[in-house]
Amino acid sequence: MNEYSPSRDVFDAIADPTRRHLIHLLAEADEMPLYELTAQFHMGRTAVSKHLTVLKEADLVRDRKVGRETRFRLNAAPLREVQDWVVFYSKYWNTNMLRLGQLLEEDEE
Amino acid sequence: MSLKLELDFQYKTSIEKLWSAITDSNKLAQWITENDFKPIVGHRFQFRHEPSEWWDGIVEGEVLVVDEPNRLSYTWATGEERHTVTLTLQDLGDGKVNLHLEQTGFSNVHGLEGAKHGWSAWANELPQVLEQ
Repeated sequence: MNEYSPSRDVFDAIADPTRRHLIHLLAEADEMPLYELTAQFHMGRTAVSKHLTVLKEADLVRDRKVGRETRFRLNAAPLREVQDWVVFYSKYWNTNMLRLGQLLEEDEE
Repeated sequence: MSLKLELDFQYKTSIEKLWSAITDSNKLAQWITENDFKPIVGHRFQFRHEPSEWWDGIVEGEVLVVDEPNRLSYTWATGEERHTVTLTLQDLGDGKVNLHLEQTGFSNVHGLEGAKHGWSAWANELPQVLEQ
């Protein structure tokens, strides 16, 4: 049951290379605190925080407070929508092109 | 948005026959779907697919390039998406023809504007990210 309703489109969230990189970093770890994430970028904490907020709005990232630090983890589920979308077009053409091949073969006979 | 779908298909046929199969409305109906396509630049057409619960099946298009028998390009729009499909034919000799398909665009879909470098490669990595 997903009671969380994202306020931002997943495609919008991943349109930015910094945010895609954040997703990759989080995909390789269970959980990461902000300072560890910030260390990976040539930008300030505030800028990284803003990107994380966008990812949170798309429900791609969830956070929790542990003592004085905020830890972030990836929620990959919304990315399925992106994958399905890409796969949809590949499937569409592959299926049709197979039919085209059959049509051309019949033509040859 | 630089999501780019690129696919190649080889067929045992002549380049003229393949050209006819991708431009003739009756032939298109046999491998894509019912349509009113004409290989005339500026012609607007529809591919009318069987609707499903999540897709009305209608693709609206406009012919952009007709370079017989080498290249055909048209817009391909459905729902909020506006793509461009380009088909390039190449005679490989030996009775074989290569059909190269590129589907690009997405300029105004899902808030993705302009060419976003690396999106396409990233999309290919999605399965690994999703496996975590």
